[in-house]
Amino acid sequence: MKEDELYTLRQQDSALRDALRLEEAELPQMPSDLNARVMQRAAQEAGGDIATTRKSKVRKLWPWLAAACVAAFIAVNIAPPKDVASPQDKGQVAAKVEKKAEVANGSNGENGYNGSNGLEPNEPTKPIKPTKPTKIAKPQLQQLAEAETSQAEEVLPPVVEEPRKELAQATATTKKQPRTLTEHDIPITRPENYKYTPEELAQLRKQADEAYLKWVELELEISKNNLQQTAQQE
Amino acid sequence: MTEIDINLIEGLMQQSPQAQQELLDRYGRLVFAQVARLVPGTENAEEVYQDVFVKVFRNIGQYDSERSALKTWLSRIAYNEAISYLRRKSPPVVYYEDRSGEADRLTDAEVNETFGRPSTETVQLIRAALKHLPPDERALITMFYYEEMSLKEIAYVTESIPTTVASKLSRTRRKLYKIIKMLQS
Repeated sequence: MKEDELYTLRQQDSALRDALRLEEAELPQMPSDLNARVMQRAAQEAGGDIATTRKSKVRKLWPWLAAACVAAFIAVNIAPPKDVASPQDKGQVAAKVEKKAEVANGSNGENGYNGSNGLEPNEPTKPIKPTKPTKIAKPQLQQLAEAETSQAEEVLPPVVEEPRKELAQATATTKKQPRTLTEHDIPITRPENYKYTPEELAQLRKQADEAYLKWVELELEISKNNLQQTAQQE
Repeated sequence: MTEIDINLIEGLMQQSPQAQQELLDRYGRLVFAQVARLVPGTENAEEVYQDVFVKVFRNIGQYDSERSALKTWLSRIAYNEAISYLRRKSPPVVYYEDRSGEADRLTDAEVNETFGRPSTETVQLIRAALKHLPPDERALITMFYYEEMSLKEIAYVTESIPTTVASKLSRTRRKLYKIIKMLQS
């Protein structure tokens, strides 16, 4: 049926409208205090809503906090340390290593290192272009790393020569296979090298004791001298 | 929309108790009548009425003045609350169902004649027949004939479309006549 026809019928169906009017009149009347009860309930629910929204806000916040903590933990563990060398720095480091390796190669049988610290060569070698970073094959690096680690435990100064030699050899042999040295490949930056081994600690204590004894001896000599001087003056 | 309505809606948006009280004063009786028409028992109707207005106060932000008048929006909420209450709590009641499709075979002339005859007997018969209609159909007839709502407004209240409302109204009208015939026989 079309809408217009229905609107026409609405006007014509007077009996139906009368019946509905009577039915509506017989409906239960609205209690006078019902609106007051509605207002009371609305006020209660508004108060309750605030509490529940607070709770729900806190509940909603917890997963995000937990996720943030996990993300921070992962970031701290995965992210590289702050002092990561820039590509230029890496190039310089690689060049230095290359240079030292060549020095080691040149003076392998001559033991050309300085006796004082065992690190400086006696004579300056030819300058090497610090252009391309030297790349070392992985297996050799691993060997090198193992050698470094094992020798780091032995703290005695002459031992430092060994990894340097090995590093020099490794660098020399792997010149044909270029590989960029990273910060992790340099022994000094390895975390295990920052820590003192028990042997090192024992040696440090021994040195400290010796230094103390020497200081006491020196003090004794000074006081002896002072006594002699005062005796002479008298 | 009048300025008073705009002020009322603004007050409701701000959860102002004065505005809420004004809304209850203005539309409370209408909503209660609509609820009481669908939900049997005064206590049940009161419960639904409270639910309706609490919902209105809470969701006033969703009201779109361009889609419907405030009164129609209230009717929609009241209708939905009453229907869901009936589904939830009311015991299942069996109403007349025109399974054989006899109502569709009735001629328009005899139906129009009965409903257009304002005799006391006919009015009483129609009232008796209305009680055999399911609540949603009774509400539809009341909204159209008593509240004189347009098909578009009824469609908004019942979440339907005007053409569906029109065909449903036509079918209900015929069904009502069929019930009257049955009661007469």
